[in-house]
Amino acid sequence: MDREKKLLIANTMIVTMARLLKDAQNVFMGVASNLPFFAIWLAKKLYNPGLIWLNIPGRVNPEPSFPPLSTVHYEIAREGSASLTLAEIFDMSARGELDVAFLSGVQIDKYGNFNLSFLPDEVKGRVKIQFTGGAGSALIYPNSRRVILWRTKHDKRTLVERCPVVTAGGNLYRVVTSLAVFKREGKERLVLESIHPYSSYKEVAENTAFPIHPAPFTPPPTPEEIALLQEFDPEGVRVVEFD
Amino acid sequence: MGKVKTLKEAASLVSDGDRLAIGGLLLQRIPAAFIRELARQGKKGLKVMKTAANYDFDLLSFAGCVDEIAAGFVSFEAEFGLAPNFRKAVEDGRVRFEENSCYTVIASLRAAAFGIPFMPIASLGNSYLVNKFKEIENPYGEGKVLAVPAIYPDWAVLHVHKADEEGNAVIYGPVYEDLIMSRAARNIVLTTEKVVSKEDIKRELDLAVIPGFKVRAVVEVPGGASPGACYPYYDYSSEHLKRYLSIRDHEGLKRYLDDVNP
Repeated sequence: MDREKKLLIANTMIVTMARLLKDAQNVFMGVASNLPFFAIWLAKKLYNPGLIWLNIPGRVNPEPSFPPLSTVHYEIAREGSASLTLAEIFDMSARGELDVAFLSGVQIDKYGNFNLSFLPDEVKGRVKIQFTGGAGSALIYPNSRRVILWRTKHDKRTLVERCPVVTAGGNLYRVVTSLAVFKREGKERLVLESIHPYSSYKEVAENTAFPIHPAPFTPPPTPEEIALLQEFDPEGVRVVEFD
Repeated sequence: MGKVKTLKEAASLVSDGDRLAIGGLLLQRIPAAFIRELARQGKKGLKVMKTAANYDFDLLSFAGCVDEIAAGFVSFEAEFGLAPNFRKAVEDGRVRFEENSCYTVIASLRAAAFGIPFMPIASLGNSYLVNKFKEIENPYGEGKVLAVPAIYPDWAVLHVHKADEEGNAVIYGPVYEDLIMSRAARNIVLTTEKVVSKEDIKRELDLAVIPGFKVRAVVEVPGGASPGACYPYYDYSSEHLKRYLSIRDHEGLKRYLDDVNP
């Protein structure tokens, strides 16, 4: 994939997630959350300046002067309005005070559950492939008001019928992938909400392991959104997940 | 005997089979030099815990020092990818990975710190992790509550910015789970960027969050969190991490441990 295409996908995912934060009170970003970092930063710039940005380094409303590769980097701890430790942010979630959280899984199934734990070897009854572990997601997903799942890959191994192991499930708001956006119909199944403008219904259908129905295109990034991202991130830290 | 020790002396306090809570988070303020010394001394059967780890738990898995890892997340981020030696050790059955939610690691440490046998916590929904814990009847109302057992680490191993010779220590910036670990553990070992005078600590008393009375060893290791970062002194080293991640066998690991000392 060439760099232009990577930037197009990253920008589309970022602005789509940023626009989902227009009415959010507060938002939490965890480990390895490169694209949510940019989405929150952009949402605060353009759509929701009062949005409260919570993170693992524990600074409320950080003011990073550059985009770090790690979303626990101390640049995120350098400036802010107050301090709140990770444990206390989890407590906030446990009390139902966390509004929006970004989470991700290696596999996401049609119920909105995800697997970030392991692939079991059914025959031998043990771990076949060990993933990273779900970090705080088992607590955050069922206890936060709205969870946005994001995934830079979209294929049949990623968007699966049913996860063999459920690391976390709960209050799904949207799933934003490299190709499309899903929402949940009622409490049950994921339905396609929009297809990113550079993709097609055919491509999304061929790369999703559960049935979907046609949907309109995702509104593309505006010149203003792209210009802001480019100015903040001239080096292209936001495409690192696509390498 | 005084508490100020060499890295070698401090690491030799840890016995095979001990349970260690390791401070810092991912690449931030990890006691990396102490971890390498544990590997150099060939410790066996250690049990380690923290919320989110990478270099430290990956290296201990590679060196065959750990039997059990309890954590919410073990991986590098972005450019460095997954933790290869951790994964291989778990997939080969050499290390038992007790996957937790980061919150249940914190709950286990809180229970130990609070002196109670378990910590009730909010629902974990339909996560498979629920099966690892017992539910109890809510004694004051309706329904059931998840109860996470206390875990008492033998050691909290923390890297700090400065400590005096009694182990009273100052941390700048995010504390992660270091404080709760220091309260939950039976003993503390500190590596510190600098051993300073008591007067120096007194000048920043509000930041002296680790009292020295449970500290058994204080080791001065400037750059002791490297290849991790120590805010605001130094960032993580991509070059060093790439070198570590390129090691393929135990020969290579031995050369690395000989070379990167402390």
